[in-house]
Amino acid sequence: MADFVDRRRRLFLGAALSGVTARAFAQSARNPARAPSSQRLEPLRHVDAGVLNIAYYEAGPAAGPVAILLHGFPYDIHSYVDVVAQLAAQGCRVIVPYLRGFGATRFRDFATLRSGEQAAIGADVIALMDALAIKRAVFAGHNWGGRGACVAAALWPERCTGLVTVNSYLIQDLGRAMVPVSPQYEVALWYEYYFQIERGRAGLAANRREIARILWEQWSPDWDFDDATFDRTAAAHDNPDFVDVVVHSYRHRFGLAVGDPVYADLQRRLAPLPPIAVPAVTLDGDADGVLPTSDGSASAANFTGRRIHRIVPGAGHNVPQEAPEAFAAAVMELVRA
Amino acid sequence: MTEKTSAQAANPARAPSSKRLEPLRNIDAGVLNIAYYEAGPADGPVVMLMHGFPYDIHAYVDVAPQLAAQGCRVIVPYLRGYGPTRFLDKATPRSGEQAAMGADMMALMDALGIKRAVFAGYDWGGRAACVGAALWPERCIGLVCVNGYLIQDIAKAMVPARPDREVPLWYQYYFQVERGRAGLAANLRGIAKILWEQWSPNWDFDDACFERTAVAYDNPDYVDVVIHSYRHRFGLADGDPQYADIERKLAAQPPITVPAITLDGEEDGVALATDGNASAPKFSRRRTHRVVSRAGHNLPQEAPEAFAAAVMELIKA
Repeated sequence: MADFVDRRRRLFLGAALSGVTARAFAQSARNPARAPSSQRLEPLRHVDAGVLNIAYYEAGPAAGPVAILLHGFPYDIHSYVDVVAQLAAQGCRVIVPYLRGFGATRFRDFATLRSGEQAAIGADVIALMDALAIKRAVFAGHNWGGRGACVAAALWPERCTGLVTVNSYLIQDLGRAMVPVSPQYEVALWYEYYFQIERGRAGLAANRREIARILWEQWSPDWDFDDATFDRTAAAHDNPDFVDVVVHSYRHRFGLAVGDPVYADLQRRLAPLPPIAVPAVTLDGDADGVLPTSDGSASAANFTGRRIHRIVPGAGHNVPQEAPEAFAAAVMELVRA
Repeated sequence: MTEKTSAQAANPARAPSSKRLEPLRNIDAGVLNIAYYEAGPADGPVVMLMHGFPYDIHAYVDVAPQLAAQGCRVIVPYLRGYGPTRFLDKATPRSGEQAAMGADMMALMDALGIKRAVFAGYDWGGRAACVGAALWPERCIGLVCVNGYLIQDIAKAMVPARPDREVPLWYQYYFQVERGRAGLAANLRGIAKILWEQWSPNWDFDDACFERTAVAYDNPDYVDVVIHSYRHRFGLADGDPQYADIERKLAAQPPITVPAITLDGEEDGVALATDGNASAPKFSRRRTHRVVSRAGHNLPQEAPEAFAAAVMELIKA
């Protein structure tokens, strides 16, 4: 544990100072094939689902078991550029939506609150499944997408054949949002505190690429992504609702923004931190620069069904893109179980 | 004009980490009872040495004897919220606004019967020195300040900086929310140590050196003053009404009309070293700007010779 803390301390301090994190080593030599940076998940499909028109990528046999792959912030569907092909090749029907505020997904009504709260992300998953007439699926995600997967798995277990998340149980405990953590972890949350004030909103609007790139480098210190890989995803942050959804998300989780009343009932059900009853595989990158790598025991009580926890060597926060084999294998275990 | 000067040219002697600036004196001054260290001849030219956040008077542990040895009367006060300095009235708002810092320095000079002095400081203390020099130039022989002109332009506080310059301000954003207040209260030392390391990457301070200063954070008003300071500068906390007139004057970004020497640490991790040109219009008299090689943000403690030399130049001018 001491080694881990020291490592994180180094990452945080170095990254915070320079905005550029030294990468310990490139992950090239022993790596399996990766899709080139030029490959896009195309063509996209579009469907009206709840309050959104959701843009999504689909692959694999229509009759296959469904896996819904949910991206995070500040990422996009290309976190799954390698996972998708691996799952489709093994017979899965893979659905990869752009979250609200990202890419080609749009709100259907200009009057809808651009909420980024956890209940909304989870509800969007279920609305997409309803729109596509998908009864049950594996929910798999990281970061915001992992949270959306946890929310949907906890509140709609009958729709979920299994859950894969990075960083375990991600439903926010808003009642404890004002409890500080150890200062070296607070340093890494600089963007969350920045977004609390209007300077942070203006900064995100003006510098969304630079902010995203700093976060990628801080959170995935060993990931040697190139400019084309970053740009492919960063284009998704030009969505007209991106800034509003992001800022609302980070204010709501601290209890400093009011939620959309449409989700008040869901939010009430999330407040007691409902358990995940479906089978789950949780993954932590051992080089995650924003959330601590854990042995999974602290969140064990949140999983009442079968749950396996794994640490993925060399992976940072963007596990599906950095370690697609490990992520895809976790999904397949749940599909086959 | 920018000059370059060396922090550790001849690797001069440093006071050991066990050395404290003692004994302290105390005096009622304005809304405070101020604890301060004094050294040097009583009739020497006076130098006010103002510390920053999260530091204390020991930022001047080497500067003070160097100046005293050259005939200066040196006054090193604990700012409001630090060390043994106390508010006289429990009802006084624990403001950390820039006007209060400047007013405290002037109140201390009044209490000590000091007519004129060199104002020298960095970080919060540099801001106090700038405020004092801008609004009470008749009391100021000259200004030594780290990071140029430090009077906050609160009307522009919501204009973002480049993202890589926002990242080091994590603590300022953290302090905007109650979690940050609770985090500061619970981790006074943990937060300060991170900032020392981020801001002074070349400074090899030891635990005793850190702890000598860290006890100053145990002041009962520290958390309130710090939180208010970082909220007020973003326009997100009201000021103490008694400083409203001073803040109004500061909002106009008044020029510094006394002779000034500004110093930037070449390796400052929070305020980047500059050539001084951007702040040049704020100095209407003779002003020299220097970049101190290898020094970080805590310049007087990291490069005391460079800091003391700047003070002496203003005294001898």
